[in-house]
Amino acid sequence: MIAFTLKRLGSGVLLLAVICTVAYALLFANGPSIARNIVGDQATAEQVAAKQTELGLDQPLPLRFLSWVGDAFAGDLGRSWFGPITVSDALVTRLPVTLTLIATAMIFVTLIATTLGTAAAVKRGWIDRLVQVGAIVGDAIPGFVVAVVLATIFAVQLGLFPAVSSIAPGAGADAWIASLTLPVIAIVLNYVTASAQQIRSAVIQQRERDFVRTLRSRGLGDGEILLRHVLRGAAPAGLTVLSLQFVGLLGGAVILERIFAIPGIGQLAITATVNGDIPIVMGVVVYTVALVVIVNLVVDLLNGWLNPKVRVS
Amino acid sequence: MKSRTRGITAAVAAIAATALVAGCSAGGSGSGGGDGASATLTLGTNGEITSWDPGQAHVGHQLQPYQVAYDTLILREPDGSYSPMLAEEWSYNEDLTELTLELRDDVTFSDGAAFDGEAVKANLENLRDSNGRQSGQVAAMESVEVVDADTVTVVLAQPDPAFEFYLSQAAGLMGSPASLGTDAMISTPVGTGPYVMDTAQTVSGSQLVFTAREDYWNPDLQKFDSIVLKPFDELTARLNAALSGQIDAGLIDAPSVDQATGAGLTLIEDYRVDWSGLLLMDRDGVIVPELADVRVRQALNHAIDRDTVLQSIARGYGEVTNQVFGPDSGAYVDELDERYPFDPELARELLADAGYPDGFELPVTAIPGFESAMAVLTQQFEDIGVRVRPISAPGATMLQELADRQHATLIWNLFQGEPWVAINQMISTDALYNPFDSTSGELQTMIEAVRTGGDDSAELAQQVNDYVTENAWFVPFYRADQLYVYDAEKISVEPQVQQAVPSIYNYSPVE
Repeated sequence: MIAFTLKRLGSGVLLLAVICTVAYALLFANGPSIARNIVGDQATAEQVAAKQTELGLDQPLPLRFLSWVGDAFAGDLGRSWFGPITVSDALVTRLPVTLTLIATAMIFVTLIATTLGTAAAVKRGWIDRLVQVGAIVGDAIPGFVVAVVLATIFAVQLGLFPAVSSIAPGAGADAWIASLTLPVIAIVLNYVTASAQQIRSAVIQQRERDFVRTLRSRGLGDGEILLRHVLRGAAPAGLTVLSLQFVGLLGGAVILERIFAIPGIGQLAITATVNGDIPIVMGVVVYTVALVVIVNLVVDLLNGWLNPKVRVS
Repeated sequence: MKSRTRGITAAVAAIAATALVAGCSAGGSGSGGGDGASATLTLGTNGEITSWDPGQAHVGHQLQPYQVAYDTLILREPDGSYSPMLAEEWSYNEDLTELTLELRDDVTFSDGAAFDGEAVKANLENLRDSNGRQSGQVAAMESVEVVDADTVTVVLAQPDPAFEFYLSQAAGLMGSPASLGTDAMISTPVGTGPYVMDTAQTVSGSQLVFTAREDYWNPDLQKFDSIVLKPFDELTARLNAALSGQIDAGLIDAPSVDQATGAGLTLIEDYRVDWSGLLLMDRDGVIVPELADVRVRQALNHAIDRDTVLQSIARGYGEVTNQVFGPDSGAYVDELDERYPFDPELARELLADAGYPDGFELPVTAIPGFESAMAVLTQQFEDIGVRVRPISAPGATMLQELADRQHATLIWNLFQGEPWVAINQMISTDALYNPFDSTSGELQTMIEAVRTGGDDSAELAQQVNDYVTENAWFVPFYRADQLYVYDAEKISVEPQVQQAVPSIYNYSPVE
């Protein structure tokens, strides 16, 4: 397992290197434009040239990239070009907020989807139909529509929740709960039935396996078979879809963060992209790739632990 | 089965309970201005500033935050007139190349340093050397002479009719010399202003918290105990925050006005700052030969039904116009707004006179976001035989492409400022929005007259206005309303002329 973990970490680092190189090349290609956008439309051509020199944009691209890599290893990801903050500070203050949002949402999605999916697989009938229809509907309705509807009804009109996040330094847990409830509900409504659908299929498949019939004939109750054996077998499929959703949320939460003004990584990423704040965008790329690599590794290890049959030897 | 159903019920109950708890605490998480003793102003802003170093200050949205922590040398009143602030008096020499300022002697920065002539010199030089977005405000400055602690003379290489204006804007912001240009000042302002940043509560991009400075020299300007600025890039979030009372004021868009006023918010009426229209930059016919003929450009002006355009793009929130100078600038000429009535037949005649009876193809550039303007324009030009070829320029590279003369025309919004500012923005040969350097001897003479005109500069600019309007340099559509809403039960607000959002001094609590 150690070897497996090390190999995965190694390939993760390689992935990070490749993505950073490509992203850097794409973002930094047009030096004069970048400088012009920073100094604005009232600036002279001399100002544009001076800004290019200041930011090192007149250096050859590979040299600049190596310099960025060198600084990044030392922990210095640079300063934002459009905000009064260093890239590291911006990421470090915002990552916990996004992770809290996503983790909370995924916990609820996991619990509810597992319950719903298993109930659908075992009971069939109306729950089954609900899950299947819900999966299609959940897929079809864009996440931000759900978010806007929730915000309009429960925050603006009924005043039960703050319309925009009140998360701030020194804000207590109540501010976090108040600010994240609607976004979490939006995510859950969007994602739960798709996962439930996958889990339902996996559970049905497991229950049709021979070993289940054997266990039943040995006198084991349905409940015990379900909890101790069937769910374990269905776990890989469930974990796969949930981990895909988690990774998808890293990107998908951006819209929610914008709508609810949650001070997370997603909001930072969009603002930086729109402004052309390249140091921030590069920082977000680095953090996001690292996060995805770690999440995938953890899921694989979890899979292996839950179900020895899928362990990599 | 039963246990699972109970499990689901328990889970639902837990979520509901959490929601109720959250609901109880939601009410108190607003701007906290209710308890009488402390009045807090919470403003929704369109984004965040780049750096708290005054050398990086900009205009409009990007000037208002600086006013919280910094004073300016000259105060610009809501109607555009000038009052003393850090400078008590100021006057020019005869040939308008030296401006002498008498400074207050009782002001200190929030770090304890005294405000004096040396500080003024340090700040003006900092702006010049910072390569900021408004460094051009001190382009005419040759040197700053500190006569004594309370007197400073700014020496200009040539007269600059907008210099007093600049000293009420970015150039007038005074930061503590010890902090100018330092990394620390990027995130924390150090000024003489009415409020000081509460760094513990401040989170860049989320909320900027300021508290009233105790020993501020002008308590009359400190109308609140604290000011909170909340940047929202997303209009939906800003609107919802206004609707739910989490901010006291902010900008919204035309489609949201009814919802906002319906919820009890007040809209500032007739708050106009920008003009919208088509820039006909290629007046020398480099890319589009047809545009070199003034009759063609005039025909384009007659082809636009401005009332329809105002209705379809801005839902009627604005006023149609034929000129690019604003009514508050002094360069505005009433009659010019009748210069190009909607007259497609006349337009076709002009085109025929110019030698294009069958019209021609006109490339029109716009960045994403201007689709409705492009659609309306295309249809109206089509009616006179001008076939529009839309060019969608990416926002990230458009400005540089303009500078590189890649675009003949541009659909755009520009703010209407002081006449000299407007001339440098789009009429002089150095202006980015005049990339083909269109000019003429006549125009140059007029511009020189404005430069050296002193107190008559604004009026002399009317000639420039006449010229560019008569020569159809632009096709202005309308002056757009700034849709600024506020909670009239908590605050009152006065609009600031030629500024995208009101100055901080224009907000007062409602008693």
